[in-house]
Amino acid sequence: MLHWFPPSNAQELENFIKVWMSFSRYSASLTSVYEKTPIGIGTLFLMPYRKVAHQCMFQIVVDPDFQRKGVGSSLIKNLKHLAKTQFRQEYIYAEIFDENPLTVLLNQQGFKEFARQEKYVKEKDSYFPRILMGCDLLE
Amino acid sequence: MIYLSKVEIRVSTIEDGALFKRVLLQPGVLEYFPMYDLREVEDAVRIWEIFCRKGASLTAVKDNIPCGIAFLNLQGYKKLTHQCLITIALDEAFRNQGIGTKLLEKLIFISKDSFNLEMIHLEVYETNPARRLYQRLGFTEFGMHPNFIKEDGRYINKIFMQLSL
Repeated sequence: MLHWFPPSNAQELENFIKVWMSFSRYSASLTSVYEKTPIGIGTLFLMPYRKVAHQCMFQIVVDPDFQRKGVGSSLIKNLKHLAKTQFRQEYIYAEIFDENPLTVLLNQQGFKEFARQEKYVKEKDSYFPRILMGCDLLE
Repeated sequence: MIYLSKVEIRVSTIEDGALFKRVLLQPGVLEYFPMYDLREVEDAVRIWEIFCRKGASLTAVKDNIPCGIAFLNLQGYKKLTHQCLITIALDEAFRNQGIGTKLLEKLIFISKDSFNLEMIHLEVYETNPARRLYQRLGFTEFGMHPNFIKEDGRYINKIFMQLSL
């Protein structure tokens, strides 16, 4: 799972989660629940600077046991709605490492690739690209 | 090009934060940065201090006057540490004298030599004339973030550029 995310070890994961969850304070985080069990989470990383506050990045993660069941799609749809209605966002985007299955979901939901940086990620002497995909919420 | 002999590029000290702040607050400079006001500039200077303490910032000095700063925004995650984003800010009174080029050339040098980086990248707004400087130094574009900046109802695209080392 960590192949798709910046952290490589437990310590980095702790820091990553701390930053990610700090946005729940602003009610910018959504959790998918199935029979009272949380199975996915999606968060808007709101921008602190005024000139760039009209757009933001988001991250999602879904429990592997519940993937390919529409949980991710539903999270993205709800994040788009939250971004537009609660935070007046005009554009949201995702930073994806390597050819993640998420790119298919994002394409289906109107996201378009706007940057691709080769060799952004390096794991055990192998390189992977980062792909940035965005969706115009005003359309 | 005789004037260039008077330009020195040295590793920044924490005191250079005042220079960074002064340059950012010059008229028109924030047009090319995401920050909007004094509070946001001070926040950016605090973040710069983290990289400065790691020796990842350079200061240009001309005739004993510090006039520009360029630094590496070193990555925290292990799988990303072979590359990083860079930032440059040059006092408007010292532009078009080759100082920006000299600063970036030295930054590229320490990226490889001191930090073992394999690639550096930057983000520049479409309206920024510095794009030409980056192209001249070999940076190539790999994407564009549409409408990244919104100011007074006007939008500006952001261009991504990188240089393989």
